[in-house]
Amino acid sequence: MNSTTDIAAMQVLLTGATGFLGRRVLRELVDEGGAVRCAVRTGSDINRLRDFIGARRWNQTETVSGQLTNLDHCRALVTGCDVVYHAAAALSGCPSNLVMNSVISTRTLMTAAAEADVSRFVLISSLGVYGSQKLASHSVLDETCPVDTAGFLRDPYTYSKILQEEVAWQIANEHQLPLVVVRPGVIFGEERGVLCHRIGLSIGHHLLRMGGSQRVPFTYVDNCADAVKRAGIVAGIDGEVFNIVDDDLPTGRQVIREHRKSGRKLKVIGIPQFAINWLADFNEYYSRKTEQQIPAVLTRYRVQAMWKSLRYSNDLAKQKLGWRPTTTLDEAFERTLAFDA
Amino acid sequence: MIEKRIKIGLVGCGQIADAHLQQIRRIPWADPVAVCDLEPLLARQAAERFEIPGQFTDLDQMIEQTRPDVVHLTTPVGSHRPLALQLLAAGVHVYVEKPFTVDADEAREVLAAARQAGRLVCLGHDQLFDPAWLECRRRVAAGAVGDVQHVESVLGYPLDGPFGTQVVANVDHWVRRLPGGLFQNTISHPLYRITEFLRDDEPEIQAAWFSRVPRIPFPTELRAHLAGEQVTGSLLFMSTTKPCHRLTRIYGTDGSLEVNLTSQLIRTDQIDRYPGAIARIEVPWRQVREASRNFRQNLLRFWRGDFHYFDGLKEMFRQFYQAILEGGESPVSGEEIVRVTAIMDRMFHACQREDDKRCDGRRQRRTTHSHIPETENAFEKRCDAADEVLCEKSP
Repeated sequence: MNSTTDIAAMQVLLTGATGFLGRRVLRELVDEGGAVRCAVRTGSDINRLRDFIGARRWNQTETVSGQLTNLDHCRALVTGCDVVYHAAAALSGCPSNLVMNSVISTRTLMTAAAEADVSRFVLISSLGVYGSQKLASHSVLDETCPVDTAGFLRDPYTYSKILQEEVAWQIANEHQLPLVVVRPGVIFGEERGVLCHRIGLSIGHHLLRMGGSQRVPFTYVDNCADAVKRAGIVAGIDGEVFNIVDDDLPTGRQVIREHRKSGRKLKVIGIPQFAINWLADFNEYYSRKTEQQIPAVLTRYRVQAMWKSLRYSNDLAKQKLGWRPTTTLDEAFERTLAFDA
Repeated sequence: MIEKRIKIGLVGCGQIADAHLQQIRRIPWADPVAVCDLEPLLARQAAERFEIPGQFTDLDQMIEQTRPDVVHLTTPVGSHRPLALQLLAAGVHVYVEKPFTVDADEAREVLAAARQAGRLVCLGHDQLFDPAWLECRRRVAAGAVGDVQHVESVLGYPLDGPFGTQVVANVDHWVRRLPGGLFQNTISHPLYRITEFLRDDEPEIQAAWFSRVPRIPFPTELRAHLAGEQVTGSLLFMSTTKPCHRLTRIYGTDGSLEVNLTSQLIRTDQIDRYPGAIARIEVPWRQVREASRNFRQNLLRFWRGDFHYFDGLKEMFRQFYQAILEGGESPVSGEEIVRVTAIMDRMFHACQREDDKRCDGRRQRRTTHSHIPETENAFEKRCDAADEVLCEKSP
């Protein structure tokens, strides 16, 4: 692992601090002695954030309201900052809103960061950006795999993350802004649960389990926050990309079993792996025939990217960031499922 | 059968542009040729997802290079007037997303320019072309409710929806700067469902707006009463109730009829056919039969693949394009555009006047009492708190 910079000597800007991952990143940074400025949206629930990190850590935290799509606001936010952690992103909404709040905001913030000579910009992207539909089944997905070049064929969230990265690399190259990109897998933990789209789709009170034997690229939120923190302080990694997934990843079936073992009821309709493509073909056909009476949520392109059996590598993060998933998946599942049980 | 094809451009690639592009794609003889937005990334995402060949950030360039017959304006309302004038001057027909313009004066100016240029203009009164509304209109015309006396129109607005959350979160959002605020962007829908039957140009208007959510510093609820010579109307804009209704109830001399645009249902209430207790049995039986008929109709439509949220929009586009190609009239007349816009202006003025009165009263009470008396009722307390926020914001 490369050497690290002392966070205690740095001024840090963190966006998305009130979010699921952002709160844990804030806690990690403050625990290392960093002075953290949190960019929050007007109307965000600051009290919840304060309660989460506790009064002692709160003293090292500054919160500033602003719109990340506004260049003047961004200039004020980055003033005096050494490192920017950009975890804010829109998770849902229509495509134009996602582009506005994830892509355009990233471009604006990075432009301001470049003007302010920030020494590192850490972008939280997503493992979903890979064009994994082109990979053979059971092959390894690592940082050398290409990003999807036809993001508009994916779901709106993934499309916005693909565009976000494209814009980020463009700004970093144009302005020589040192950029590090972190691509977490499916982040889970307390408050969010373990069921996700990589396992299946929720339809009413049922879960449509897609396949079930493929590994789910999970990362426990505390482990992921540790990796994100390191991406801002480890020296000599500018221009690098890191996939963040935990070790010993479970299959979809195993996750459902754990979920049920915790006493939760779940009605599951299993779609075998071989039938996923048929289902997608039917959805596309029906949607086209009825002029989208039911939209083509499942398409060949999307299901190949989402539910293909792959192996996921976290070697680069271990090697260069010195990161290890310190909470094992068993422990992480236990904590997650005990929450709100 | 339309033999010619029509070339379409679109300016403003935000949320509503998706609905337009989806519906344009459903018309086989319509060719969307270009999209335009000041923000290149927004133009790009729309062009990529809907396979539109041209993407521009400059309107003049779009017109020059793609020569569209008609351009849809789906930008924030503040830009409708200048963009519409620019397009009409370039000889392009214009479809304007609601609200048409910031006020009725601007609307008159745009329509005068259209007359001078010999081009058509249409406004997004799409729910009047929705299949359920067309059926409702047919039944009313056939005398199902007798003479219409009153129309009640409800719009439920999801503040936690994709657009509502943007307006709430962004203090600089363009919607917040409109004279009619949140309401101006959407209230034309329930309003034109009333004005279809209330034909007066200048009905009497009583209206008030308020908020029930203390953390939101702008009004989120509106109630209005309109009185014409023959017909009256009441309009409810509600943002804290679920489900979010798109309902209209038409009361007539011989019965009433309720149309639910979301569920595509029509329900009728008619004069009792039997006396006293027997009617208590006959009325629910009639409702069962009506529900059964509605179920069968919706099942048939589902089987045919005939349910689309924006069916009215598609039908309206179709009629507008047909009028352009064959030299007809716009499906929404200029007179109707001005009439609805002017009623909206007067409604917002009435709300503002009520607001001023309420705030004056509150200030008066503040000066005469050391504190505002607390109400016991939790709901009133909530309204009171929201009211205070609004009064503090007002000059």
